[in-house]
Amino acid sequence: MTEKDQQQIFDDWLDQHKALIFKIVRAYTYTAMEQDDLFQEIIIQVWHSIPKFRSEASVITWLYRISLNTAIKWTKKERKHPRSETLEGVEHILQESKLQTDERLIWLYEEIYKFDEIDRSITLLLLDGFSYKEMASILGITESNVGVKINRIKKQLISKSKKPDHYGI
Amino acid sequence: MEFEELKKIWDAQTNQPLYAINEKAMYNLILSKKKQAYHIINISELLLIFVNISSGIFVLGVNFFKQSENISLYLLSAWMLGSALFMLVNRVRRIKGDNQFNRSMSGELEHAISMATYQVRISQIMRWNILPIAVLTALGLWESGKSIWIGLIVLVFFGLSYAAGGWEHNIYKRKKRELEVLQKKLASEG
Repeated sequence: MTEKDQQQIFDDWLDQHKALIFKIVRAYTYTAMEQDDLFQEIIIQVWHSIPKFRSEASVITWLYRISLNTAIKWTKKERKHPRSETLEGVEHILQESKLQTDERLIWLYEEIYKFDEIDRSITLLLLDGFSYKEMASILGITESNVGVKINRIKKQLISKSKKPDHYGI
Repeated sequence: MEFEELKKIWDAQTNQPLYAINEKAMYNLILSKKKQAYHIINISELLLIFVNISSGIFVLGVNFFKQSENISLYLLSAWMLGSALFMLVNRVRRIKGDNQFNRSMSGELEHAISMATYQVRISQIMRWNILPIAVLTALGLWESGKSIWIGLIVLVFFGLSYAAGGWEHNIYKRKKRELEVLQKKLASEG
């Protein structure tokens, strides 16, 4: 594969599936600095993954695999070496969309953020309609483990959504 | 609320991107990485020139005043002074080359990549340079009849330096790759 081909694929993937990466960044980070950092890390890993991509897997599944595994590793690294400062006045690479965001969606992201890194991945995949088999393959865990985790996640989200203290859910 | 309803809320975001990419911030990030690389290159070059000159002169001086006939140590001294000269020539060429890049966004980006490439190349050459220095040092010790234990300690020291050099070289390679991907991302946004 030539570098030109790789660049073309990179451009296409990011153009078509940027929203997928944004969702993962949003679910795994809290501050704008963290968002920038994880976004950079993911696009770097996506670039390097292009020559390894085989067309028997779908691009979306591949991007999820790369992005989620990067996000999981990134979260573990951040936990070991947490950031001490936030730089004020610095322009960030990712800027929150000016479009009106549904408050219930904000609540959902906040709840996902409270899960551990594997449960966050499973929740994202579940909400995006992946099968147990696909989730198990992307995350490298067994289907039965995925099933157990999904049951727990669903129960938690449903129970929390019934509490009266948030955004009209 | 049932899970299906949560999924509906989730699905509704598909048409609304959560973020917009700020190209200027990305460009500034690349520039800050360039400045960082520039600083590291500058310090590394000066340090390598200083260390090689001072070590070369020291070995030469000790050998000369002891009226030793240890050829390996004379060769070692010459090799170190040669390494300092090589580094100096590279530094001058690099500084001259810096002026070839214009101050436009693409020029700055090209410059950043060029510096990262230089950093990777120099770190690799300096790592390889440990090998002849280690061999000449070992031969010098052998010629002067030093104990085998001293020879072993020196070789372990060079082995560790070689490993540390590899680690450093990999850091620079990773930084260069990061810079290239960011540059490509910026190009695709533009």
